[in-house]
Amino acid sequence: MTKKINERIPADSGNGAGFTQYNAVQSPWNKLMSYQDALHYASRFEAVLSAAVAQVYRIIIPDYATRASEMCKEAYGRLLYTGLNYPNDDGFGIHPFMCGSYPGALIGDKGDDALLMCGRCNDFGTYRCEKELDVCDWDICCSELCRATTMSLQGQADATETRHRKGHKLDYMMVEARGCGDRHCRIIAESREKYPAPAHELWESFGPAVSDEYKKYTEEEDCVSESMMFREECNYHFVNGTNNETDSSNQMINLSTAASLYLLPAIDNAVRLGYTTEQQADWILKCVLEAAGKAMFGERYAIRACREWLGVPNSIGEDGRLLGGVMEMLMQSLLCKYEIEAFNENEVIYVIDRGGLAITGCQSLPKAHLYMWMGMVKTLVNAQWSVSEEDSPKGKMRVKIAKKIDKFM
Amino acid sequence: MYKNTFKDDEWKRSEHMAVRENVGYYLFTHQLMEVSGPDAQRFLDWICPNNIASLKVGRDRYTTILNDEGTIIDDVVVMRMEEEKFWVSTLYATNLDDWIYFHSDDFDIDFTEITEDWHMFSIQGPNSKAVMNKLVEGGVEDLRFFANTSAVMDGIDVILNRGGFTGEKFGYEVYCTPDDADAVQDLIDAAVKELGGKEVTEFQVFAWTLPTEAGFYYMRDLNGINPLEAGLDKNINWDKDFIGKEALLRIKEEGPEREIVGFEICDENEDYYIRSRQYGGPGEPVFIEGEEEEVGRVAKLVYSYVKNVNNGYILAKKDRLHIGDHITIHGTKCVITEKNWLN
Repeated sequence: MTKKINERIPADSGNGAGFTQYNAVQSPWNKLMSYQDALHYASRFEAVLSAAVAQVYRIIIPDYATRASEMCKEAYGRLLYTGLNYPNDDGFGIHPFMCGSYPGALIGDKGDDALLMCGRCNDFGTYRCEKELDVCDWDICCSELCRATTMSLQGQADATETRHRKGHKLDYMMVEARGCGDRHCRIIAESREKYPAPAHELWESFGPAVSDEYKKYTEEEDCVSESMMFREECNYHFVNGTNNETDSSNQMINLSTAASLYLLPAIDNAVRLGYTTEQQADWILKCVLEAAGKAMFGERYAIRACREWLGVPNSIGEDGRLLGGVMEMLMQSLLCKYEIEAFNENEVIYVIDRGGLAITGCQSLPKAHLYMWMGMVKTLVNAQWSVSEEDSPKGKMRVKIAKKIDKFM
Repeated sequence: MYKNTFKDDEWKRSEHMAVRENVGYYLFTHQLMEVSGPDAQRFLDWICPNNIASLKVGRDRYTTILNDEGTIIDDVVVMRMEEEKFWVSTLYATNLDDWIYFHSDDFDIDFTEITEDWHMFSIQGPNSKAVMNKLVEGGVEDLRFFANTSAVMDGIDVILNRGGFTGEKFGYEVYCTPDDADAVQDLIDAAVKELGGKEVTEFQVFAWTLPTEAGFYYMRDLNGINPLEAGLDKNINWDKDFIGKEALLRIKEEGPEREIVGFEICDENEDYYIRSRQYGGPGEPVFIEGEEEEVGRVAKLVYSYVKNVNNGYILAKKDRLHIGDHITIHGTKCVITEKNWLN
């Protein structure tokens, strides 16, 4: 036993009711959820949605190697393009003397924190970088995603390299992955000049690492469960050795999802490459996401837990406001603007800022959310209720929750 | 048993020791802010605790920059290029740019980031002077420490600055335009290698192991602390007003709560697991051997290739740790040392 003092999260917890400095999200029945919980909730929901989208992609391209290969090529190319055309060295603390592709690890480090994927950087150097994650909400999606995220990092790193004087190129690999059942995600980036190894295809991004003997393995007792911005003296900030501080409001705005960053773009790419048609892809997406939504509240205890979580009074029975509460919590967590057009026992109507749900600019993500909600209402409320998009103004998504009879539903 | 990423890495060792024993060079372009105008000196004296008024043209001065609470938000080198023109060498240009903008209303100054206009090569080590004497027309015999001057290298106009981030007595920085950078690097590379030196390519060597061995700070080391805690109070001119002075005077009167001390791992062969602030996070808790109260956190842990020990800094409660004290960090036995491994 030691007298180590862990700070409270947030630091002023217990100093009085409410949060004076930090936002909370609020259910329609005034249940407050802390900023931190809100972000975790949103991250988890988006991971579940992404896991369902991953199944869509698996249906469209059944062969693992082909699927992973296409996904990696798409992710690498897109992030390379983004890095080349929208550079932001200052935002990641990448300094002019950081030549070569190793500072790409700074982009990964900061991105992990924004996505609540907590862990630690074990090594950061010109020829070798190592990052170890204890938590990754995306670990339920698919191992192809683990490969593609690594290659997107490679794309960012390769783009970074072009902005500086010539340096050493690093090969980024995910040698352990929680999505594959490992205890940690472990990214190791190595310079092939110092650690020679044969070249590999983009999708073969799981290693092995040549410098495996330098690996630092963190025992269970030292693992963390919160992102740096929520931890101890780093409260509400992300910092590392070379980055400028970034406060957590920035993370919340920029919360990205596996679906928006990787899976939906991979499906779009599969359509472009002729693996399926746009109509067929959309049909599969609707079927799978509706099923995933229904599965969320298939068990009665899930409904009870959800009601408690939202602070729903006993006087509220089975009606569309239940789903409305869930949607409002999510949209507040994502800082997505919405207006309430109706909220009563007969109908609930939201006019949602489509751009707020098009996370990281992914235009098909609002539609994916709609499909999930279509399924969720059937089990959270009951099968008489439906979710539909009707009469949406430009740039908005008008979502109606109401009873509906449809013989072809 | 995992290999020590510093001790067992001969590549890093050779680059580090080239600087200590001979000469090494590396691209070390910092971010640069240019502050100019009739009030430039008065403005910099307001935002910097160190004395800028007494800085002569062609000389440099190290200083922290503080916020109103007296906490360090940057540590920079101010170079006086002309009577009314200064360069501020920083690694937080984005923040500094905002800081200058929001504090310059009452001053007649212009400021702009000029990072992209310059590259800087650092030539460090005992033989760096010989390299520079060979390269620079007229030589560098008269160039004093923390002094800058215009110079010519093989017909290329450059700015020379004597200084560095290694603790070496002789170290030089060559500023050139990006267009001239390839030619300048070729000249330096050839001259350094002719003397048996080498290019230092490893970030961990030029940003961490070399400066730490000399007791210098790098970015995150100073995050959230004040100059009195960092031992940088000798760089404060208490006879003038500056941002953060009021808070700092109060801290001085009450005494700082923390300090930075040096430490080493006792057994150089031990397979330690110690997290430090240099990678982010709060760092590993530090305990006096046999005691239970946390007395500090590990701020930095690297390696001294000169002393062959894992060395670093601890951000500790004031006066709790003294040189020679034995401490435990995540089960590893360590000892408190001077914060300089070149003595």
